[in-house]
Amino acid sequence: MDYRFKKQIFGFMDLLRFKKLVPNRRRHLEEGSPTHLPESYRVNDTAAVLHPGPQKAVLSEIIRQTADTKTYTFDLTSPMFFRAGQYVTVRAEIDGAIVQRPYAVSSSPLTALREKKLSVTVKKAGYFSGWLFENAKEGDEFTVGDPSGDFYHDGIRDSFHVVGIAGGSGITPFYSMAQAVKEGSEDFDLTLIYGARTLKDIAFADKLKALTGDKFRFVCVLSDEKQEGFEHGFITADIIKKYAASDDFTAMMCGPEAMYKFVGKELESLGITGKRVRKEANCIGNRDVKPVEYNLKVSIGGENFEIKARSDETILTAMERAGLKVPSKCRAGGCGYCHSKLVSGKYTISGIDKRRLADSKFSYIHPCCSYPDSDMELIVPNG
Amino acid sequence: MVNYDAVVIGAGNGGLVAAIRLLQGGARVIVVEKHNIPGGFATSFRRGRFEFEASLHELNDFGTAENAGDVRVLFDELGVTDKIEWLQIPEAYRVISREEKLDATMPFGVRAFIDKMESYVPGSRKSMERFFTLAENIHAAQAYSNSVNGNTDSKIMVSKYGNFVRTGSYSVNEVLKAIGMPKKARDILNAYWCYLGAHCDDLSFIHYASMVYRYITKGAAMPKMRSHEISLALAERIRELGGEIWFNTEAVRIITDEKDGGISGVVLKDGKEIATRHVVANCSPHVVYGKMLDKVPEKAVRALNARKFAGRGFTMFLGLNKSADELGIQNHNYFLYDTMDTVKQYEIMKNIDTNTVQATVCLNRAYPECSPDGTCMMYFTTLYMSDDWGNVKAENYFSTKEKAARIMIERFEKDTGAKIYDSIEEISVATPMTYARYCGHPEGVIYGYESQYWDGLTPRLLMMKEDYITRGLRFAGGYSMRLSGYSSAYFSGDISGRQTVGDIKKEG
Repeated sequence: MDYRFKKQIFGFMDLLRFKKLVPNRRRHLEEGSPTHLPESYRVNDTAAVLHPGPQKAVLSEIIRQTADTKTYTFDLTSPMFFRAGQYVTVRAEIDGAIVQRPYAVSSSPLTALREKKLSVTVKKAGYFSGWLFENAKEGDEFTVGDPSGDFYHDGIRDSFHVVGIAGGSGITPFYSMAQAVKEGSEDFDLTLIYGARTLKDIAFADKLKALTGDKFRFVCVLSDEKQEGFEHGFITADIIKKYAASDDFTAMMCGPEAMYKFVGKELESLGITGKRVRKEANCIGNRDVKPVEYNLKVSIGGENFEIKARSDETILTAMERAGLKVPSKCRAGGCGYCHSKLVSGKYTISGIDKRRLADSKFSYIHPCCSYPDSDMELIVPNG
Repeated sequence: MVNYDAVVIGAGNGGLVAAIRLLQGGARVIVVEKHNIPGGFATSFRRGRFEFEASLHELNDFGTAENAGDVRVLFDELGVTDKIEWLQIPEAYRVISREEKLDATMPFGVRAFIDKMESYVPGSRKSMERFFTLAENIHAAQAYSNSVNGNTDSKIMVSKYGNFVRTGSYSVNEVLKAIGMPKKARDILNAYWCYLGAHCDDLSFIHYASMVYRYITKGAAMPKMRSHEISLALAERIRELGGEIWFNTEAVRIITDEKDGGISGVVLKDGKEIATRHVVANCSPHVVYGKMLDKVPEKAVRALNARKFAGRGFTMFLGLNKSADELGIQNHNYFLYDTMDTVKQYEIMKNIDTNTVQATVCLNRAYPECSPDGTCMMYFTTLYMSDDWGNVKAENYFSTKEKAARIMIERFEKDTGAKIYDSIEEISVATPMTYARYCGHPEGVIYGYESQYWDGLTPRLLMMKEDYITRGLRFAGGYSMRLSGYSSAYFSGDISGRQTVGDIKKEG
C-alpha cells in the first residue's frame, strides 16, 4: 500500500520538525545541571545492607553451648539484614590456605542490622569447624560473606504455621527464626521439634524456652535418654501430630540426611509432602572411593596454577587445600557461586545435578559438588 | 602491568557482543565482570525443580532461518546462532485493561494481526494498513542507515524513506491519531508500550513502530535453556576467538591520560591495573561518570543530569505444582493494565501501593517441557516509574517485597480467572534492590535512560558522534544509543564494538 504520512497542514513542516530533533536534544543536554553526579542512591544503599558482600568481621565472643558446639559472635564492619534461616560464609586463612564454610546464622536479623553483630553456631566436625573449635579466639579477624540460601519462611508460599524439625546442630537456623518471630522481623507461627541424643546435647535450651509464647512453641525429643518434660525416641508422625495441632502447616527440616529420610516418611504419612516440606541442604563431604591423585590445571583471573586433586575429595577442596582463592558459598551444589568452566577432564557430581541446563551443555561445573575422575583443567572465577 | 587493546567492563548483553566484535576486528580484549556468570540480566536460576528465566520475555527481531530478523543476522555474524536451541513464541500477546474492559489476544503475522484487529474493532483495517506501511518504511530506512553506518544522505532519506522522516519527530499517539486509527485499535496496538517503558505521548513513533513491526513480521523467539544459554554461547565464542573473561572481577576506576583526557587504564577492585586506551562500558554512564572516571568533563555531567531514569524493575518468579491447563493459564504473554491511557497509567506505576500493572509470562505455553510434568512456571514483571523503593528501609524490605508480590498475584487471578495462589511451590522476587545489587544500576533501573520526547531513539542515533565525549570510552547496553531491551542491547554492543575497532585502527 502506498501511503504518505502528513500531520501538519504543509508536509514540509513535518520534515522541519525532524530536522530539529538533533538541535533540540543538544539543547536539552547542554542545559543539564553541572552539579556532580550522585555517588550513592537510596535503593543501592539499602541493597548494600541486604547484600553487603564479603566483609571484615572481628570475632568478639565465643560461647560454649554443648561439649562439641560453640557460638561465635562477630562484630561486622557494615550492617546486614537477612531472612532468619539463611546462612553466611565464614572465611579464614589456615596455614596458607584460604578456607571458608557456610554456617546458618543463629542470631536475629535485627541484631545484625542495628548492632552489627552476627553469630554462627558451629559443631565440631570436619576441617574448618574443627580448626575454629580449637584455634579461634576473641579478637581474631575473619571475612563474613553475604546472607544466602532459601531456607526461610515465605509468607506467600508457605503456611502461616511452620513446624520446624531440627536435628543436632540443625537447631541453628531455628534459633534465629525464634528470635526473629519474637522481635517481629519474621511473621509466622513456629512449632519447633528438636531432636537430640541426650539433654547435654541440646544447644540454646534455656534461651529457646525463654522465647516461647503465642507464636513460638518448643519441644525436645531425646533419642538416647528419658527425661521428665521431654519426649523420648525419634521424631515420629505421632509426635509431629501432637504438637502441630492441625495439619495446615509447612514442615521445615534442618539436620542430617538420615533425619530427612526418616522424618520425611513420617510427614508423608500425615499427608505433608511436596511444597509443604522444605529441607536445608547439607555440605558435600568426601566420597567413599580409594583416593587417587590427579593433576588439576586451574586458571584464575589470567593466572595459571597446577595443583593436585584427590578422587575422594571435591574439586573445591583440592583448590582450597592448594591455597587458591576460589569462590564458594553453599558447598551443596545448589547456589552456583563456584560456577567454573571445564576445559577438559572427567568428573562425577555428588547427588542431584543442580546446575542450570545450559551449564552442562557448555561444560560448566560446580566444583563444590564435583569429584575428579581424571586429570582436569578449569577456568575458575576469582574467590 | 597487563595491557590490552580494549577492556570491556560488564559481561551483559551489550558487553559480550562488543567483545566478540572487537575480537573479530583483531583486537586483544579482556572482559571484566563483577558477577560470577555472564549475561547481566540475561541469565537463569534454579529453585527446587524449576529453572527460571531471569528476564527475557521474548526475543524481538530474531525470526527463523527463512525469515531472519536483524538479531539473527547479527548472531550469524558473531558465530553463535547455532550454539543455541531456539523456539518460537506461539502468539503475540493478550492485553487486558480494566478501564476500557478490554481483553484482546493478538497473533503474529501482519495479515492475521490486521484481521484480528478488524474483528475487535470493525473499521480499523485502513488505519492498521497505514500503520504497517509506515512501519515497513521505517524498517527499510533503518536498514539503509545501518548499511551506511549511520552516515545517511538526507536527500535519499527524504526521497526514498519520506515516511521515516515525516513521522520521525512525533510520538506514538500523535501518529496513530493522525492516521485515523480508532481509539480501541490504538489501545490494543499500544499494549507493548511497557516493553519500552515510556508512555505513548513521550515514546517515539519510529521506535515503537519498528519494534511492533519486528515482532509481528518475525515473531518472537526464546532459547530453550533460557537466556543463560545465549549468554554462555556468547562467552564461549569470546574464548574461541582468544578473548578472556574474568568473573568476580569488578572494575572500580577508569583512569585517563593527562595529555588528552582520554582513557589510559582500568583499575580493578583488588588494585590490579590494566593498561588500555579503549573501554566499552556495559554499565550505567551515571556510575561511570559519577564514580569511576578520574576526570569528568562538564559536558558529560550536564548531559547526564539532563536525562531521566527509566523504569525500576520488579519481577516475581513462580514455580507452580500444577499444569497451566489445571490452573487456567491460557496464554504465554499477558499485559495487564488499569487503563490504556498510558500517561495516566504511567502515573499509577509510580508507587508500590498503586502499581499492579504487569507483563506476565507462562513459559510452558511456548515451551511445555520447560518444567516437570504437572507443573508450570510463570514470571511477572513490572516497572516503577519513580524511586518509591528508595523510601523502603531495610527492616521493611522483606514485608514490602511480599506485599508487592501479593498484589501482583491477586491482580493476575482477578483479571484472568486463573487460580494460582495455592499452587506456589517456589517463589522468588527481584526488586529494584536486587537489580541495583546485581548490575549496579542506580535506583534499580533496568531500562536505562527513559525515551523522553526529546531523548528518543532517532536523535540518539543521529548524535552518536557528539555523545562520544571521552576519547576511548564507549557505552553498550540499555543506557546507550539503542535504548533498552535485549535486541537493543545486542545492537549497541555491535555498534560500540565496531566503532572501537575503528578507533583502534585509526590509532595504528
